Amino acid sequence: MLFLCTSVLQAQTKKGDVLIKNGTVITITDGTLENTDVLVRNGKIDRIGKNLKTPNGVEEVDATGKFVMPGIIDAHSHIAGTSINEGTSQVTAEVSMEDVVDPLDVGIYRALAGGVTSIHLMHGSANVIGGQNETLKLRWGSTNPEDLRFEGAPRTIKFALGENPTRGGRSRGIQPQSRMGVEAMLRNTFNDAIKYRDAWNAYRSNKSSRKVAPEYSLRMETMVDILEGEVLVHCHSYRADEIYMLMKVFSDFGIEKLTFQHANEAYKVAPELAEFGASASVFSDWWAYKLEVYYSTAYNAAILTENGVTTSINSDSGELIRHLFHEAAKTQKYGDLSDNEALALITLNPAKQLGIDNRVGSLEKGKDADIAIFDNHPLSIYAVPQMTFVDGVKYFDIENDVADQRIYIDPESTVEDVQILYSNDHDRCMEGANVVNFTDLFNNK
Amino acid sequence: MKILRKTLFRLLFILPLIGFTSNIKAQSDPTGESPATRTYAITNATIVQAPGKLMEEGTIVITDGLITAVGKNVNIPVTAEVIDGTDMFVYPGFIDGMSNTGAERPANPERPDNLFTPDPPNYYAGITPENQVVDQIKVDENSIEAMRKVGFTISHTVPYGRMLPGSGALILLRDADHPDKLILTEGSSLYSQFSGAPGAYPGNTLGIMAKFRNLYKNAELSKNHSELYASNPEGVARPTRDRVSEAFYPVIEKRQSIFYNASNSLEARRAMRLQKELGFNLVLGNLQEGWDLADEIKSTNTKVFMSLELPKEPKSSKEEDKSDEVKRLEERRMEFYKKYISQYAELQNAGIKFGFSSIDARSSQLKDNLLTIIENGLSEDQALAALTTNSAELLGISKIAGTLDEGKIGNLIVSKGPYFEKKSQIKYVFVDGEKHEYDVKDGSKVKEGDETPVADLDAILGAWNYEFTTPQGTQTGKFIFTNESDILSGTMTSSDGTPDTDLQNISFLNGELSFDFSIDAGGQSVDIVVVGVVDGNNYEAEASVAAFNFTFPIQATKDEA
Amino acid sequence: MKKFISILSVLVLLPLFAVAQNDGGIVRADNSKFALTNAKIYTVTNGVIENGTIIINNGIIEAVGADINIPGDAQVIDYSGQEIYPGMIDSGTRLGLSEIGSISEANDFREFGEITPNMQALTAVNPNSVAIPVTRVSGVTSTLTMPAGGPLPGTAATISLFGYTPDQMFAGSKGVVMNFPSTAQRGWRRRTPEQIEKAREKAQETINDAFDKAELYAKIKESDDARYYPEMEALAKVVNGEVLLYIEVNSAKDILSALEWIEERGYENVVLTGVAEGWRVAEEIAEAGLPVITGPVLSTPTRGSDAYDTAYKNPGLMQKAGIKVALRTMDTENSRNLPYNAGFAATYGMGREEALKAITINAAEIMGVGDQLGSIEVGKKANIFVSTGDPFQTSTKILDVFIDGYKIPMTSRHTELYDEFLNRTPGLNKNEVKVDG
Repeated sequence: MLFLCTSVLQAQTKKGDVLIKNGTVITITDGTLENTDVLVRNGKIDRIGKNLKTPNGVEEVDATGKFVMPGIIDAHSHIAGTSINEGTSQVTAEVSMEDVVDPLDVGIYRALAGGVTSIHLMHGSANVIGGQNETLKLRWGSTNPEDLRFEGAPRTIKFALGENPTRGGRSRGIQPQSRMGVEAMLRNTFNDAIKYRDAWNAYRSNKSSRKVAPEYSLRMETMVDILEGEVLVHCHSYRADEIYMLMKVFSDFGIEKLTFQHANEAYKVAPELAEFGASASVFSDWWAYKLEVYYSTAYNAAILTENGVTTSINSDSGELIRHLFHEAAKTQKYGDLSDNEALALITLNPAKQLGIDNRVGSLEKGKDADIAIFDNHPLSIYAVPQMTFVDGVKYFDIENDVADQRIYIDPESTVEDVQILYSNDHDRCMEGANVVNFTDLFNNK
Repeated sequence: MKILRKTLFRLLFILPLIGFTSNIKAQSDPTGESPATRTYAITNATIVQAPGKLMEEGTIVITDGLITAVGKNVNIPVTAEVIDGTDMFVYPGFIDGMSNTGAERPANPERPDNLFTPDPPNYYAGITPENQVVDQIKVDENSIEAMRKVGFTISHTVPYGRMLPGSGALILLRDADHPDKLILTEGSSLYSQFSGAPGAYPGNTLGIMAKFRNLYKNAELSKNHSELYASNPEGVARPTRDRVSEAFYPVIEKRQSIFYNASNSLEARRAMRLQKELGFNLVLGNLQEGWDLADEIKSTNTKVFMSLELPKEPKSSKEEDKSDEVKRLEERRMEFYKKYISQYAELQNAGIKFGFSSIDARSSQLKDNLLTIIENGLSEDQALAALTTNSAELLGISKIAGTLDEGKIGNLIVSKGPYFEKKSQIKYVFVDGEKHEYDVKDGSKVKEGDETPVADLDAILGAWNYEFTTPQGTQTGKFIFTNESDILSGTMTSSDGTPDTDLQNISFLNGELSFDFSIDAGGQSVDIVVVGVVDGNNYEAEASVAAFNFTFPIQATKDEA
Repeated sequence: MKKFISILSVLVLLPLFAVAQNDGGIVRADNSKFALTNAKIYTVTNGVIENGTIIINNGIIEAVGADINIPGDAQVIDYSGQEIYPGMIDSGTRLGLSEIGSISEANDFREFGEITPNMQALTAVNPNSVAIPVTRVSGVTSTLTMPAGGPLPGTAATISLFGYTPDQMFAGSKGVVMNFPSTAQRGWRRRTPEQIEKAREKAQETINDAFDKAELYAKIKESDDARYYPEMEALAKVVNGEVLLYIEVNSAKDILSALEWIEERGYENVVLTGVAEGWRVAEEIAEAGLPVITGPVLSTPTRGSDAYDTAYKNPGLMQKAGIKVALRTMDTENSRNLPYNAGFAATYGMGREEALKAITINAAEIMGVGDQLGSIEVGKKANIFVSTGDPFQTSTKILDVFIDGYKIPMTSRHTELYDEFLNRTPGLNKNEVKVDG
């Protein structure tokens, strides 16, 4: 059923060699190792051990007294995208964020300066079945979107439940306007996809040279790929009832890979999530910006973790992405997670949710050398990121930090261009609580 | 004088019997405007036959629309009107690689009742590849004269529209009484842009990219089906007529290229991405940020028409005590301005043979921009090639245009002084062998551009089609300004059926038009202030909504009543 | 998977059981006489006392020190190994004014009109807002609660986060909020420099007109013939220096204009708020002798060309230039993140001690209540919290909070939901119902 997604030329990206010496190495999967070296060859972790010899021509980084951890992975981001929502229709499975990757967004560098090496660039939450997302590595400096692609990462897609898609339905006078309608739309679309798959299967198995192909639909192709497990679903959701509903729908259609995004009430159905094998990617403490997050608790991540649900903490924000290590630390205040559990929320667990845990998320021999170095323990408020590597290439070094990182500059811009935003205004998908949907102002509905 | 000529020019088309260009033998012409002959000889001129090929004291003869002789010892036909070319430089007429010249922007399509469907009607979604630009061409479009007087004689004109507006045509920028007479070649391109449908699918780049793939794939299937049926219909379902798919057939067969309007580097890369996936022949038009793209352009065999629009040169602050930070930022901004103006030379040096496209540029600025490009590394010959031979080659018309050789179309420019000298002025432009004469100012003072002076109220009275884009989509409608006993009043209409709104505090001074209006947002009255500049039929403005702390741009074009 | 589907049928009555699970009854605040003993006390104004004691009586700190006699009637709480700090003060929030962000009916921080300085934030504070317990159990005991909107949106109030009426919460300081005309971009679309300048001029004119009138009104208001003009009544208090004037201003250029405006007008009791680009003009602010409330520290830079950490460094740079700095979150439901804003400021140049002042004594002094709040001193209001350690450190737990001498129940919606759902009853299966699967 794949038609196009693999045909694009693979860009050759830079791979680095480096020996990070004598740091406290937080592996996530194999404990925390004092006075340990990490050797990186050709972008991969080659060895982790004590007193490793420096191969010829390999740069050394002295990490004495510093903390070396896997690069942080943000499972929910909207930086580095020129568009976020194709919200004009309730099902837009065919659109993909890979078409709108913006390698020029300074937000990428700012995230690197917070130890982040990979992001899940997500479609917005305006529609029930939104677009496909794109997993990126933050290879800052390239002007080519292709260079940022996390080559080999599984495809993922955004779904959305609750207030956002029903608000769209209400403002346009179409379905869905309730959580009942959302479920119906999901079931209808999957059933359409099954019909579509049957039609194409019949065509393919027809031996006649005079057969005629059914109509092609990239939208249905994507839905079929979801049914066949090739596309991982990441669903914007808040309330426990809607989370539960989607698990039932997926059970009925035999779809297994499911991550709930935001999932502020996931804690209420944590046993059911664990039973299903669904995971959750949540905020550390956001709540009360809309009705469906009023009954929230900052202990959400801890409750989910204690109940055996694979959980990550994400940013959904161009501001918050810069200190996800701090957001993860809040689970120690709210729920007493261990250092390793807390750091897994922003490394290994999001990697699992994105299907890239064979490549990143922990410091292990053979994994990609996506590494962040901190001067203090990364869960400490006094931690400052020092260096960030992607594929062994250093993209951030606090010692060589240049303020103006812009890659393209509009010659007609003013030099002193000041933008005042409060944290609540940043790159949220559609959560701008006080921002009126401007189109609605002009709508006579 | 200018206005008078324009009036006469218009008058010609009001009188249906004139048609002076094609049929001068048998008709009287009481206006006295028709030429007495269709043979011209320009003598004793410096003739630039092609970039780098220069002949001094030469003569060129044009007969019945074609160049019939170029050389030093040329017989001048007795029927010729002889033009003394002393101090004159003759160039091949310029060719515009992508523009809307001659096309009239159609009214925005009416909002359908079933807007919010996954597949809104094609006319509204902007999926009209079966359309032909010739249906939008108007012989009296101002742009024809505006482009001709700066030396353009052929334009690859593409239609107005949204995602897939239709196919383009090569047109001669000549006078005619019917659009058909302008057409050199039809179906020259399938034109494509990253323009979403207001409030409907595809609303932005995300939807456009996906929809394009979907359309292309179905066109391939449809083509196979039609061919199967054509070979033997027996037992094969009859294909239904599908003009959208059919419009792609020549593209699939590589008989036609897709011209993508891709002004910035990311758009250009997206178009090349589609090309790599689907395999069609791609031409990038209107490219404004190409300095990082040379490798990819070459590896995808993409043809390019670079934009003739340039950013304004940044002005550094004159303050003496400006901070080091400001100095550094000004330097970086200047560095990027340099990238815009020197990319032409860089692409040329990288071996990319490009033409020019005027689609986003103002005709009055074209020459200044060309001179800036030349000052920044592109040689005059290379610039001339981009205007003539390269464009002709890229558009497949080298046999009939692009140089001053015998047998080619009589498209040429006669300039007083070398064209690429700042002070030079165009005296004649010949299109299809017809002479168009322009005033040449004596003395050293040359009027720069032709910006309109302080406008009077008439400049804004009437209806303006506005459009603005919000994160959620595009909105359209009309601003209507009326003047009753010197009281300026205005109304805003909306194409989605929202009731009309009165405009308040309308002010129009020195080309700046501002007004405000209130809208009802869920019981709350929200004030929106619009401030902008009127330039001819275009209004570029910014609207600000204090209550929500944001602003957005509004564009409007005046209805030609 | 089948098993999963079948459990649905047994979950229907779950909410009823959730209520029954709440076994604690009503927990009330306790205003006994307290003796807090054996704690490490960070007084902020008088150093650190190892193994110290604090006596709280009738809402006031009656004694503090290493060697304190413990009154016989005091309830003694042994805080061995714990630390005690003055309650944190968030110098800019909408706490109490906004319950649910997206629902306009649940938001009361914005009133209609341009010149509405008479609008009182204190009036609209909902003492029972769910966000208030969530905030105070994290050690934030007071906030400056501000209205928002046009050039002069209303009067802000300093409140303490315990009480059943606004007056019980009022902490003694009010100030008129003014949004200084801004030349910064604010929305998602660019304005041209000309448009910005035009809007700025218009806003400046509006403000100047209002204050011109207020100055006149202040002179004539005692006369019998003076008209009733509540807006000017409120502004006259600013003119006379009776209430604070909080001037929200952020870009460097605007800050300089504001300094000029303040000097021309000659108003006293002025506080600059926001001040996102204060570091660029810190010397000028220091010279004018104006205090600053800045934040959120956890912000992106104000310019695309700025270094990634400018917002983190801004408070420290201003403090080092000699400005008295207080911090704010500018948040509502997450005002509890105030210590982390201070922690980032501390880490990026301000230092721990100064950052602590910025959320305690500096804030109190700037609001004119330095004699009542902001430090652990005899005679001050007993607004304090007890923690397991450094309150900036993310993993630190807040053990107890006292506001106006009341020992506050350490529960909030967030803790209650945690208690109910950590080990939910029933879990996956209700009443041991087994289904084949």
